Amino acid sequence: MSDKAEKSKNLTFTPVIGIEIHIQLRTKSKIFCTCSADYTNDEPNSHICPVCMGLPGSLPVLNRAVVEQGMLAGLALNCSIVSPTLFFRKSYYYPDLPKGFQITQSDLPIAAGGWLDISDDAGNPKRVRINRLHLEEDVGKLHHSASDGRLEGAESSWVDYNRSGLPLAEIVSEPDISSAREAVEYVTTLRRRVRYSGASDVDLEKGMMRFDANVSMKCSDGRWGRKVEVKNMNSFHALERAIEFEIRRQTKLLEDGGEVLQETRHWNDAKEITRASRVKEFYRKFIVEPDLPPMVVSPEWVESVRETLPEMPEKKAERYVNLGLTPVDAAVLSDSLDVAEYFEACVAAGANPLRAGNWTRTEVLRVLGERRIGAKDLPVRPEALAKLIGLIDDGRLSTTLGKTIFEAMLQGLSFEDAMKKSGAVEGGVGADALAKVVRRVLEANADVVGEIRPDTRGKKIKFLQGLVMRETKGQARADEVVAAIEAALNSK
Amino acid sequence: MQLHELSVREIASGVRGRKFSALEVFEDCLGRSAACEGKVSALITTTADAGRQRARRIDERIARGEDPGPLAGVPVILKDNICTRGVRTTAGSRILGDWAPPYDATVWALLQDAGAVLLGKSNMDEFAMGNTCGTSAFGPTANPWDVARVPGGSSGGSAAAVAAGYVPFALGSDTGGSIRQPASYCGICGLKPTYGMVSRYGLIAYGSSLDQIGPFTRNVGDMALVMGLLARQDPKDSTSTCGTRGECFAELQDDLKGRRVALVRDFRDFTLDPGISEAMKKTIAALERAGAEMMEVSLPTVGRYAVACYYAIAASEAHTNLARFDGVRYGYTVNSSAGMKDMFQEVRSHGFGSEVKSRIIAGTCLTEPVRSEQYYVAATRVRTLIAREFAEAFENADCILQPVTPSLAPKIGEVDDDAMKGYESDLYTLPVNMAGLPGYSFRAGTDADSGLPVGLQLVGPRWSDGRLLSAGLALEKILGAPVIAGGGN
Repeated sequence: MSDKAEKSKNLTFTPVIGIEIHIQLRTKSKIFCTCSADYTNDEPNSHICPVCMGLPGSLPVLNRAVVEQGMLAGLALNCSIVSPTLFFRKSYYYPDLPKGFQITQSDLPIAAGGWLDISDDAGNPKRVRINRLHLEEDVGKLHHSASDGRLEGAESSWVDYNRSGLPLAEIVSEPDISSAREAVEYVTTLRRRVRYSGASDVDLEKGMMRFDANVSMKCSDGRWGRKVEVKNMNSFHALERAIEFEIRRQTKLLEDGGEVLQETRHWNDAKEITRASRVKEFYRKFIVEPDLPPMVVSPEWVESVRETLPEMPEKKAERYVNLGLTPVDAAVLSDSLDVAEYFEACVAAGANPLRAGNWTRTEVLRVLGERRIGAKDLPVRPEALAKLIGLIDDGRLSTTLGKTIFEAMLQGLSFEDAMKKSGAVEGGVGADALAKVVRRVLEANADVVGEIRPDTRGKKIKFLQGLVMRETKGQARADEVVAAIEAALNSK
Repeated sequence: MQLHELSVREIASGVRGRKFSALEVFEDCLGRSAACEGKVSALITTTADAGRQRARRIDERIARGEDPGPLAGVPVILKDNICTRGVRTTAGSRILGDWAPPYDATVWALLQDAGAVLLGKSNMDEFAMGNTCGTSAFGPTANPWDVARVPGGSSGGSAAAVAAGYVPFALGSDTGGSIRQPASYCGICGLKPTYGMVSRYGLIAYGSSLDQIGPFTRNVGDMALVMGLLARQDPKDSTSTCGTRGECFAELQDDLKGRRVALVRDFRDFTLDPGISEAMKKTIAALERAGAEMMEVSLPTVGRYAVACYYAIAASEAHTNLARFDGVRYGYTVNSSAGMKDMFQEVRSHGFGSEVKSRIIAGTCLTEPVRSEQYYVAATRVRTLIAREFAEAFENADCILQPVTPSLAPKIGEVDDDAMKGYESDLYTLPVNMAGLPGYSFRAGTDADSGLPVGLQLVGPRWSDGRLLSAGLALEKILGAPVIAGGGN
């Protein structure tokens, strides 16, 4: 063991992690031109124009909707809106970057100084500060002919500029995160809030959310390690694994008396390792974007955007717990806005919150998952579900019959038609109808009635009750059925 | 009088009144350009066929009783950094190859709507970097007053063409004097409008915060007519902010009573060619005759720092504007089998000329993270001071009268390679761009020795373009309007 390693032996290392997240903002058109932002499945280079191709003489014009979506996301992350806000040119050369610079923000980003509350590894509350949220344009996409799909060694490469100029928001956290688990909680919380705000669909599979992590280690003797930027993580799992790997790698290096190099490393998802970038990082320079004057964001504009911000998930969950739901159920129901709104509409229509929560969490979420649809597209509207729950609670429907009706409504039937189809009668079984059924059952089971003795009375009535319940398709309340049987027996 | 000698207004009214046809005008102008091009070389591209076709269509419209607009049948030449759909646009560089833009610059769209006919695209210093037309990849242009001399630059081709009578008006662009200086060398009118007055959409950028498109004409009335059409707020250019200010060109007043015209005290000690000093004296006398009061203002920051700061800002913006020329999407390219980096390097090494490369390198250095604060950022701060200094001067003065250059048009090849000397001669022009002000360059006289035209300029506060032209009208009435040059014949 070397001297250095000897010295490092009794030291401990704490990870210091900051995360940069790129999200694609939801707008109809690109950030600086009128090309459509939705090019899914379209031919390469079919959504381009002189502006997003950076043709000589073209000029960017800022899409107001992008600014609003950026503000919305910023407000959802507890940021303040900055005015005036300014754009810069970030220069570097790459074929997917049509102008040789990216229009982005640096000083004076649209939103700054936010935070998110998460819990640390011991379960205590922890606040992660957000430095800023800034707007920028996305670049094109490269396709390489080489077998490994990489640029180096490729025989030829193509560029698709459909993505060039899509609106992005980059969200930069302070280095307040101390573990991979915290990192994942931070990004999940962030994603949930951003999706709530409507600023982005943050669909990971569609690449609408991408992560970079800055990982360094703080030594127990007070020294700070060098920062390593880990790139290329496109899922929560990859982010978690990459940070875990990097913490292990750096800890090992430091414990062995080595040094961490300040560098950029790429996450290899297949091998689950980070590797030093072979290409030297580009030298990035900034000048003010002279084609876009500073934009003043009036307080009125900020307020009008803030008004469209829905109640945030944590607030909703808190309210659901106050309605009597378990914290777990409350978290599940408030995870996405459409489901939360469905649940709330159900309660607003008169359903018992616990029952409504239960139905939403089990039946509704199951169907949404199976059909891969949002709650807004569910054929069973929350008002219908509330009615159904009401009838079950009143004992006018058995839970089983309720589920049958729910299934029928899923096939597109209205509440009334679903009731009819399942043989249920709205309003349940009346006293007269019930008396008739009871009479019929007693006549058909005269032998059972004949066997009634004081010691077997309870058991026999229970048996008869089951038969009556079946005959009434669960629409008669159990206590009323027993009373009707007693009445019929007594009148004999 | 031949058709090519007529003014914009005369041609448009003649075509609209069926005194002559648009095609006749076009053919006569084409003939004039053909007679001079051998010696002047003002054009990179001549659009004879397309122009004839368009002129015929204008005549047809007139025959049908339609009005093709206030520029009906007026031939025009555009500097070759203004995008014209389907017509090769080179910016005077090899790197654009045969690139024909898929879209029209807003200014060209406006001129077409008004009935103008394109005769050609004019020579220019590569990417507008230069003041002689000598950095063009297509060779130099000659001054039509003396073909051994430069026409100025960078819009030298447009200026030479208007001076020689190819067309009654042309468009140029001015980043640090590129309209006013060639207008002065060629003895015609040139306006660098207030920044934001004319859309830059479709102008191949050099220094985006300094660039402004403007016209060359042979009289101030034509200038006002053309500017009245070009001064439009353009939704495609976020820095185009003129609103309804284009109305200032509707009516010019030649009465200068009570107007205060200032000379810059700090520029007093600079040596001027005798012909220019003489023209200053004559112009001052003319201004006083027209009722103006002469006074002095001081611009110390401008005198000391404007040149250095200008080049820092222009180069910094230019190196980003020119980063897009990498051979990937359009223009000059090379077989890229050697790999991406080699391809970029080769395209840019061979595609750009040396003046452009030196400014790209300067811009790259000045904006490097370690130096940016000291140079680029510092220059942008000084720029604010310069703008403030001008604004303070204009609290007392209505406008400033000053030379455009300290000397007359030099001989081709005589301009020495000492870049800094070339840069210093821009002191009168480039602070105007730094502050986003309008500058009107006009013919003030003739140098007795050389017979070369002498130009001077009026500089005013932002959006005072109309008032500058009014003063120009008063002066033109006393000093006379420009005349057509020999063009080497």
